[in-house]
Amino acid sequence: MPISLFARTAPRVGAIRSIATVKSTSESEIEILNAQRSNRPVSPHLTIYQPQLTMLLSGLHRITGVAMAGGFYALTVAFAATSILSIPFDGATLVSAFAGLPIYAKIGAKAAAAFPFAFHFANGIRHLIWDFGKELTIKGVYRTGYTVLTISAIAGTYLTFF
Amino acid sequence: MLTRIGLASVRSPVTSSLIKPALVRGLKTIPQPPGFVVGTVNEAYVHPKPNKMHGSLHWTLERGVALGLVPLAAAPLFTGVSTVVDSTLSAFLLYHCYVGFQSCIIDYIPSRVYGSYHNYAMYLLTFGTGVAGYGIYQLEQKEGGVTTLVSKIWHA
Repeated sequence: MPISLFARTAPRVGAIRSIATVKSTSESEIEILNAQRSNRPVSPHLTIYQPQLTMLLSGLHRITGVAMAGGFYALTVAFAATSILSIPFDGATLVSAFAGLPIYAKIGAKAAAAFPFAFHFANGIRHLIWDFGKELTIKGVYRTGYTVLTISAIAGTYLTFF
Repeated sequence: MLTRIGLASVRSPVTSSLIKPALVRGLKTIPQPPGFVVGTVNEAYVHPKPNKMHGSLHWTLERGVALGLVPLAAAPLFTGVSTVVDSTLSAFLLYHCYVGFQSCIIDYIPSRVYGSYHNYAMYLLTFGTGVAGYGIYQLEQKEGGVTTLVSKIWHA
């Protein structure tokens, strides 16, 4: 510690800084700028953030939406394609295929449809509330977030078993 | 996530190239400029061409459909619905899915990085939506609607 103190306060004898100037063109300046830009840190990705209700529900809303939309497209495109290509296929086939499943597979499939539906439905209403400019505070976002989770847990369970 | 649990060293270039799907590796992406800055600081901003269907009109249409879907999607849970209600629900749902998928393409297959693949994805989605629309017509004709079929499967 004393050494560094001394070094800071002592007059620097014989230290002459020479500053050299370089002639530059606008092209070379852009080159320097680009080289400097490529050294800048990139914005951090999702994994560095602590998972919070806000980001989790937002991600879940899109995931459940895409999954159910995929199911809706699969069902409708299957009916369209089999109709155009005259492949024998109808609703009764699907009904009997589902009826033939063991009970745990049935409940699993129903839960896999019911919970995303309940969540996306409830969270969609939450989004619509936000779109009207309501509940747009940290408190409001969390309050509605936990409400949505509660509703989707209850409604999802109800739809699965009843 | 790997960094958070102290496994950052696992993510070597070799493993990440193995994990990345072959399809994604096969796609030629557009190299991004240093610092993701386009042009120089002295270049004026070139705004996208104005389009009436972008922005607030599109936003309002999306919300209108979403708002309409609330009673339409809830009704079949409590009662059987007519073909008119089921067709309206299916049409609204199809549009809702269509704009949702469009948003996903805009976010995950941006033309800034993927160039014309962005357009191909959009064309494929539009084509698929058209086919799905015909499928809805078939469902209404043969099965009495989407909700009727889902209800039958649900109680099978």
